[in-house]
Amino acid sequence: MIFRDLEELGILGINNRVGRYILRHNKRSNYPLVDDKVLTAQRAETWGIAMPQNYMIIENYGSLKNFHLKIQNYESFVIKPANGSQGNGIIVIKEIIKEERNGITRILCRRSNDKLMDIEEVKHHISGILSGLYSLKGHSDTAIIQAKIDKHSIFDNYSYGGIPDIRVIVFEGYPVMSMVRLPTKSSDGRANLHQGAIGAGINLSDGSTNNAVIKNQVVDIHPDTGHKLVGLKIPFWRESLELAAQCYDMVELGYLGADIVLTPDQGPILLELNARPGLGIQIANLAGLVPRLEKIRLKAPKNLLAHERVDFSMKNF
Amino acid sequence: MKKLIFIITTLLITAPLAMLLYKSQVLNLSLLPQMVDDVWNFHLTVRPKGDRTSFSFPIPKPGPGIKITDERIRSKNFEVFIDSNSDSTLATWSAKDPIKQKVTYSARIDLKPLSYKNIPKDHTETYPKGLQRYLKTLNLLPEDVAAISLLEKAILEGNEDKTSVIRKIYYYVEEEIQRNTNIKTIHEALTNGKGSPLIKAKLFNILARRQKVPSRIVVMVRMPELKSTAQAKVRFTFANEVFLNNKWIPIDTNRGYFGERPDNFMVIHRNYDEVEKIISKKRVSYSIQAERARINRFNKSEFKKEVVKSDSIFSKLSLYRLPLPLQTMFTTILMIPLGTLVLSIARNVIGIPTFGIFTPILLTLFFKETSFGFGFVFFFVVVLVGIGERYILDKFYLLAVPRLSIILTLVIMLMIGYSLFSSDIAMISQNHLAFFPIVIVTTNIERLSIMLTEEGLANTLKTLFGTLVIAILGYLLYSIHALEMFMFTNPELLFTIIGFLILIGKYKGYRLSEFLRFRDLVRQKKKKTEGISNDIP
Repeated sequence: MIFRDLEELGILGINNRVGRYILRHNKRSNYPLVDDKVLTAQRAETWGIAMPQNYMIIENYGSLKNFHLKIQNYESFVIKPANGSQGNGIIVIKEIIKEERNGITRILCRRSNDKLMDIEEVKHHISGILSGLYSLKGHSDTAIIQAKIDKHSIFDNYSYGGIPDIRVIVFEGYPVMSMVRLPTKSSDGRANLHQGAIGAGINLSDGSTNNAVIKNQVVDIHPDTGHKLVGLKIPFWRESLELAAQCYDMVELGYLGADIVLTPDQGPILLELNARPGLGIQIANLAGLVPRLEKIRLKAPKNLLAHERVDFSMKNF
Repeated sequence: MKKLIFIITTLLITAPLAMLLYKSQVLNLSLLPQMVDDVWNFHLTVRPKGDRTSFSFPIPKPGPGIKITDERIRSKNFEVFIDSNSDSTLATWSAKDPIKQKVTYSARIDLKPLSYKNIPKDHTETYPKGLQRYLKTLNLLPEDVAAISLLEKAILEGNEDKTSVIRKIYYYVEEEIQRNTNIKTIHEALTNGKGSPLIKAKLFNILARRQKVPSRIVVMVRMPELKSTAQAKVRFTFANEVFLNNKWIPIDTNRGYFGERPDNFMVIHRNYDEVEKIISKKRVSYSIQAERARINRFNKSEFKKEVVKSDSIFSKLSLYRLPLPLQTMFTTILMIPLGTLVLSIARNVIGIPTFGIFTPILLTLFFKETSFGFGFVFFFVVVLVGIGERYILDKFYLLAVPRLSIILTLVIMLMIGYSLFSSDIAMISQNHLAFFPIVIVTTNIERLSIMLTEEGLANTLKTLFGTLVIAILGYLLYSIHALEMFMFTNPELLFTIIGFLILIGKYKGYRLSEFLRFRDLVRQKKKKTEGISNDIP
């Protein structure tokens, strides 16, 4: 069989992920807690899990009218669809510029990739979000205006443009596998593997990167900064894993992907959760998920606290 | 749980198959309607000789074993008069000036073999007036009359019924007169025991009429062999018909058929006496072409009779009971589940990406309702409209729903434009639902342009390609006409499809695409482990 190698490595395939793990361990009714970032933020607040500050929640076109006035209170912001997926529809504005010409004031927004957007364009983008252009099911959506997060200095040499994030797969509350996604020039500063960001696998035991890939191809150095990608040690590692593990208690989804960012001042905070995390993480780690998932399913003790589950994972994976 | 699924799936898959077996073995129902393809495209070209302003020629007439449709007579520059009062049809072309052109007749002709077995004894004495002309004796040389009388004494007993007499005459002419195309008179035939097909038919005719049996010579066309590729010249040939028990019975002394006519012979005129001069080589030249029409259609009406006659539960559940337009609709619709089966395999077992879930099937329907080439081109035009629209209207900052509606409207305008300027619109107008699938597909087009901006050209093309591949696969499936009929005839197979869909739904193995996706992982992993083992001295 041509799949023998995959089986030996314990690679998790899509059908297996859906049939054996997602459908069996994720309760459908809990999906909105993950898919809708407004609900996630509310939940996170009651659970004391740190997330980026939400400046505004825009639910209808009417609230867009004064958007250009309200937004001037902030220096930078991020626009997100509440029900988006794969980072689609997200725009990061790092600077708001007021420009006066012939007595007419123009408000321009500088994106993370240094492109300038007129405030009208920004509003148009938001109205696109509201009409459901980026939503998972195509229904009308809510737009979130959120605080822009700054990059932790550890990533200065490992990221081009945007902010790297750490993806942790959590199964039944146990961290299973992790990677850090590092934006590149070709990914347009986004931490999205499909668009060409680097995925670097992380050893759960010590938080150091073990391997890195771009679009399924192994790479040794960051193509834009030239820094070696293996051996990077992620700070606040244990805290990050504990944060991810707590998310299981918060949304009660057995198979979960937690996206975490390291902030310079607050340490790790939760960016978003994903009920159908991708399988590319296996390539980033050069390891299959199945043996780890099965170990947790069969051997891991039940009813442990988040930090105890992290102990188990750090010891075993 | 696993056991339950196993039982349900097994039941779903096997029960309809068992039903099929029951239908075919116990009820003796055929699983498919019979194919009919014995339709001929028949072309006749005639040109008169000499300076005549009018001439006639026989053309086929519907009758026992012969059905005629799509008859066409080229009548430009002519007046055409069709006389079908007698047992045959005669077309007369006339013009002001002498006719120098060819005239053509074409038709689609469905031939069935004729067979009258066990013809009862016939003692008819008098015949109605209309048949009197088939009893007229012909002028013969006195020595021929004498020869014939001797012959009659030798083969007939004198007190037999007319059926037996005809049979004896048939045996005599069929066996004792050898076929020889050079012998062209009755006299020669009687003295030499040889004769051309026409002479044999004439001799039979004379002998039958002398025994007071209405008889006639029929002019026939022998249809060419199915497999013969060379265009053999098709000529008129001759046989007889006798009136026994109030029926015209076909007889062919040249090829040895009594009471039978195979379906490769078509009668073009039923009384040679009337057309002898008309078809003579001196007056006209003609050519005939006949080829099997390439229509593979299933004889649904025959099958309906068969199903109803079986009087089983299936006859009540059969889709053949529906009115014809509904039948046509269901033949198409019943293929959709089969399409979803292909789609499920393509997506979940092979891992081909597609736009939207059912877009490929909608495309398949569109291809089927229009035509593949047209459907394909139209789909790409729609894609271009979708991308172009987004590119242009992006500056206007329109909300998503109205913008999608604009694409939809543009596509409808495209259809109208096409309809107005296209000649083959007839093919589309036959089915008023033809364009419906593409209208639905349109709503997915905008996703394409979003994908283009967010995931790049390569991914978009991959997905577009995947969508088309599945649509084409579905189209190929649809083009298997027998499969379509099989599903329509045995709709219980839908349960089997559900069974297979459950199996695919439970498939947790790898997708074929994952083999490619994780190929590098496997290679890197192997390299690393080898590297480690090499380090150990």
